Amino acid sequence: MRYEAPETLDAAVRLLSSATGLTKILAGGTDLLVQMRTDVVEPEVIVDIKGIGEVRHIGEENGGFRIGAAITGAELEEHPTLSKIWPGVVEGANLIGSTQVQGRATMGGNLCNGSPAADSVPGLIAAAATATIAGPNGTREMAVEDIMTGPRQLAIAKDEFIVSFFLPARPANASDCYLRFIPRTEMDIAVVGCATCLVLDGSGKITDARVSLGAVAARPLLVKECADAIIGSTLDEAAMAKLDAAAQAACKPITDKRGTIEYRTKVAGVLARRTAKTAYDRAKG
Amino acid sequence: MTAQSVEFSVTINARPTKILAHPGKRLSDALRTDLGLIGTKVGCDAGDCGACTVLIDGEPQCACLTPLSHVADREIATVEGLSADQLAPVQEAFLRHGAAQCGICTPGMLMAATALLANNPSPTPDQAEEALSGVLCRCTGYRKIIAAVCDVRDQHEKRLMPSAGHAVGAPVERLDGRQKVDGTEIFGADYRPSDALYVHVIRSPYHAAQFKFGDLAEFVESTPGVEAVFTADDIQGENVFGVIPPFADQPALAKDQARFMGEAVALVVGDQDFLTAMDLAPFPVVWTEIEANLDPLVAQTDKAPDIHSGRPNNVLITGNVKTGDPAAALSKAAHIVRGEMTTSFVEHAYIEPEAGSAWVDGEALVIQACTQAPYMDRADTARVLGLDPEKIRIIPTATGGGFGSKIDVSIQPLLGLVALKTGRPCHIVYTRSESMASTTKRHPGIMRASIGADTNGKIVGMHFDGDFDTGAYASWGPTVANRVPVHASGPYKTPNYLAQARAVHTNGPVSGAFRGFGVPQAASLQETLYDELAEKCGIDPLEFRRINALQDGDTSVCGQEMQGVGIRECLDALVPHWNAAKLAAVEFNRSSTTIKRGVGVASCWYGCGNTSLSNPSTIRLGITADGRLLLHQGAVDIGQGSNTVIPQICADALGLPLDQFELIGADTALTPDCGKTSASRQTFVTGKAAMLAGQELRRKILRMSNMSSDAVITLQDGKLTVAEQSTTREIKLDDLPSGEHGYVLHAEETYDPPTTPLDENGQGKPYAVYGYGAQMAEVEVDIKLGAVKVTNIVAAHDLGRVINPLLAEGQIEGGIAQGLGMALMEEYVPGRTANLHDYLIPTIGDMPPVQSILIEKTDPEGPMGAKGLGEHVLIPTAPAILNGIRHASGAKLTKLPALPHRVLRAIQEAKAPK
Repeated sequence: MRYEAPETLDAAVRLLSSATGLTKILAGGTDLLVQMRTDVVEPEVIVDIKGIGEVRHIGEENGGFRIGAAITGAELEEHPTLSKIWPGVVEGANLIGSTQVQGRATMGGNLCNGSPAADSVPGLIAAAATATIAGPNGTREMAVEDIMTGPRQLAIAKDEFIVSFFLPARPANASDCYLRFIPRTEMDIAVVGCATCLVLDGSGKITDARVSLGAVAARPLLVKECADAIIGSTLDEAAMAKLDAAAQAACKPITDKRGTIEYRTKVAGVLARRTAKTAYDRAKG
Repeated sequence: MTAQSVEFSVTINARPTKILAHPGKRLSDALRTDLGLIGTKVGCDAGDCGACTVLIDGEPQCACLTPLSHVADREIATVEGLSADQLAPVQEAFLRHGAAQCGICTPGMLMAATALLANNPSPTPDQAEEALSGVLCRCTGYRKIIAAVCDVRDQHEKRLMPSAGHAVGAPVERLDGRQKVDGTEIFGADYRPSDALYVHVIRSPYHAAQFKFGDLAEFVESTPGVEAVFTADDIQGENVFGVIPPFADQPALAKDQARFMGEAVALVVGDQDFLTAMDLAPFPVVWTEIEANLDPLVAQTDKAPDIHSGRPNNVLITGNVKTGDPAAALSKAAHIVRGEMTTSFVEHAYIEPEAGSAWVDGEALVIQACTQAPYMDRADTARVLGLDPEKIRIIPTATGGGFGSKIDVSIQPLLGLVALKTGRPCHIVYTRSESMASTTKRHPGIMRASIGADTNGKIVGMHFDGDFDTGAYASWGPTVANRVPVHASGPYKTPNYLAQARAVHTNGPVSGAFRGFGVPQAASLQETLYDELAEKCGIDPLEFRRINALQDGDTSVCGQEMQGVGIRECLDALVPHWNAAKLAAVEFNRSSTTIKRGVGVASCWYGCGNTSLSNPSTIRLGITADGRLLLHQGAVDIGQGSNTVIPQICADALGLPLDQFELIGADTALTPDCGKTSASRQTFVTGKAAMLAGQELRRKILRMSNMSSDAVITLQDGKLTVAEQSTTREIKLDDLPSGEHGYVLHAEETYDPPTTPLDENGQGKPYAVYGYGAQMAEVEVDIKLGAVKVTNIVAAHDLGRVINPLLAEGQIEGGIAQGLGMALMEEYVPGRTANLHDYLIPTIGDMPPVQSILIEKTDPEGPMGAKGLGEHVLIPTAPAILNGIRHASGAKLTKLPALPHRVLRAIQEAKAPK
């Protein structure tokens, strides 16, 4: 096993392009080291990207935020303004593992691990976040919802990697919320996750919405029908009922030890309601 | 991993340090193996348990998830850096509050707490919970850890030890506590002889399979780093072990056929670095999967082949208890309830995976490993290896949790085989998955019962029938089958009774001992049916239990006349809490629509020690010529506290102060047999042996000085002084001849509880001592999600004379945490949950506050009136929670755990028109 720690995007891309055997990118290591210990993966080359400036940068850009792919959940939470403007995005990232894991785990890794239950992904999708992806032909942008295509499957080539995420500028009266359901209080994989991002007008009417569900299909979903159910409303019970039904209709879950198809579908509706309510209250301020 | 070593500079505990290793090496591994800092523990290697928590630039992080390359030039703090000569205030607080039991999670807890306290010296309980939430503890139930972190005091306090005659009843801190908080405790993985060969186990990937090995010699020859392979053909003794010798059936290494997923079939021995890094796929074994039988009901039909010859229909054993005429009583009952309950495999999930070492020392084979039962390990290992037991020495390391599973041997015969065959020391550390896949579980139960009451709410009869999945091998199946019928009535007067329990083989994991031996499963059915029956009778559930509670002089379902029965007192103690909680729930539910609150109650009783079988303990106590007082204490302390409680009893029996005792053991070469740490027997059985030994030594001293039993003995400056009124006599110890074991004065006493065999109807005296308890759980149910949160527990336990209230509370809180896990989340599925992120145990946030009420109804047989407690404490928890869920939401659960999807379905069923 060869270990490489490039310091530039180009150097990293060159390493990825030239590697022949299984190559894995190391950021926080919270998935990779576990998979290596349990022999799920045995990489020939590990490319540690934590020495590259761009993946470790966090800051405001064009009225929005640029977040390096290897920024940890703990660092997101410590940022002075991010949690106020994107509370749902930070909530998702801060549910990856325990306190001791949040100091290591990154949103880039959480997405690229390719789990449909990844906690930080619905928040990014609901936020209309884009990812900047480095590859042999320079960088390209991609909507986060298009990156994961199925369990452990990504629309990212072998010689590419995610450099950063961009959260767009926020209008007034906007906020978001992420909730996940697990059977115990902390440290578990979501049975269902849901993020809702809302924009209100001055009267409290929803003018824009994005709703994303995790762990209810082969990949995290952006559910347009959920947004349609509440846009134009003030989140009255009729809108809530439509939202609930749209979320349930979007689910294509599996039955496993964490929950049945029937249960996951119901929970998706309940969490859609609860995230919408919280995001709405936050947006009203 | 050594091909690309790089030198890293790090600062560890303020000392600049260089490490030469692969950049991808885990920090936990580098700390332990490269630097010898074994205080940092490894429980899962996956970031799930937090035992390896260290501070990196002041932030708590899992060392097992941190590659060395990420700590270059950074500052790392480990538990070894917390204290020098004096303990740090946070370590003192852990001792003062009894926050360390087995001690395996303690370094991780201390480091997480240290990070919190650096910024916040006086945290609230909520802040402490938040900060410690990434570290799992399986012993304490977390509450004493929270209390300790919220009570860290700057000034050092002198520890007060009780004076002579006042040890029993004192909240003495653990006598073996210091090494648990300063990181020096040696657990199974923490000692590795130099040049030890590493042992890797090849296991069955199938529930059931035939297998054949290929060319093993060629594999050894062609694989660098591998020195030898051993299989069943290398075993020279009888290749079976088992905790109950007549039922022993489990091979140390399976031959030709594997009966469960994870069963050991071969050992690959060699260099540790190579073995952990190498791909073992080329190991020459060919598997032929055969149809597995995983259903204990199907197993009893002709559809399933017998897993063991001589056990037709896969029934290992049937236990039964019958008294009166239950059929007639039930047919005439004014009210009757019938119900079913199914429970799951439950994993012990101690944070320390099995680990240890072995070597040959002269004539003796020495095995040093974590265990609950050193003498049983010795017997089983001797049987497998074909050795005289006297030729084997078992040295228990500190055991990082056991809860029943570390009674059966696991690694011991394997280590012994390698040490004998190679003549070299060897070492093994199970991975988390290996530990979970290969060791025992709690028996899943499929149970049915009917209970009837008369118009006054008095129980008239009960019928209980249960099938218990004992898995591929016998282990403790017979004990579960016998214990359940004896206990399934609960601590209630039940004049007409028939209970049967079958232990049934499947190709599931081996079910063995787990805190309660089947009784928690049976109580989950009986105690929930009691609530339904109380409702039918129109009587409050707590009152219903009080009406039926056993009392002194009553006969049990086994026909035993009961003495020292404290169940009524336990229930009485709950009354004010129960009434307040019921009112609070009604008030809360008036305005809350989504979250509904409920209160549930349940009781327990539990016989201490083996069921109708001999289980003696022997304690030796001696005084040396130079005036040292040594206690050979062979009861393994797996965190429950026997290293403290047994000396407390002995101290008062002898009449010398506790702090004069030096402890020896446990070690089969140094301590007489104190049996296994199981069946809530150590305080009772070993405690009684310690009392008898203390009394005997006192008698000898008094006889030598010709004083009466009221005399006061002191031991100082190499002499014993015996004083009574105006007379004082001295015994100069170095004048006395040195006798047996090198002592000038010594006593050795054995105690075996007086029981009688059960007849064909289960009638007799199965136990000499019983303990009792009742718990009340307040729960909140999210009726839209089916999620349950336990918000408070009040636990009243009758443990007879309380030897150590601090440790007793720790047992109660820890047992409740395990009961809560069994109630709400724990379900082991072979092949799918062999890790701590798919198998969930309660975290710190899941544990509610616990109010413990200690009831002291002294027992006529127990030492100084004491009873056992360790298992009792988890029996009422699950049914109390289930009763609370039903009270809150109407949901009647018939399968454990009460996972949210099951609760939600039960809520909907309760709402549906009948």
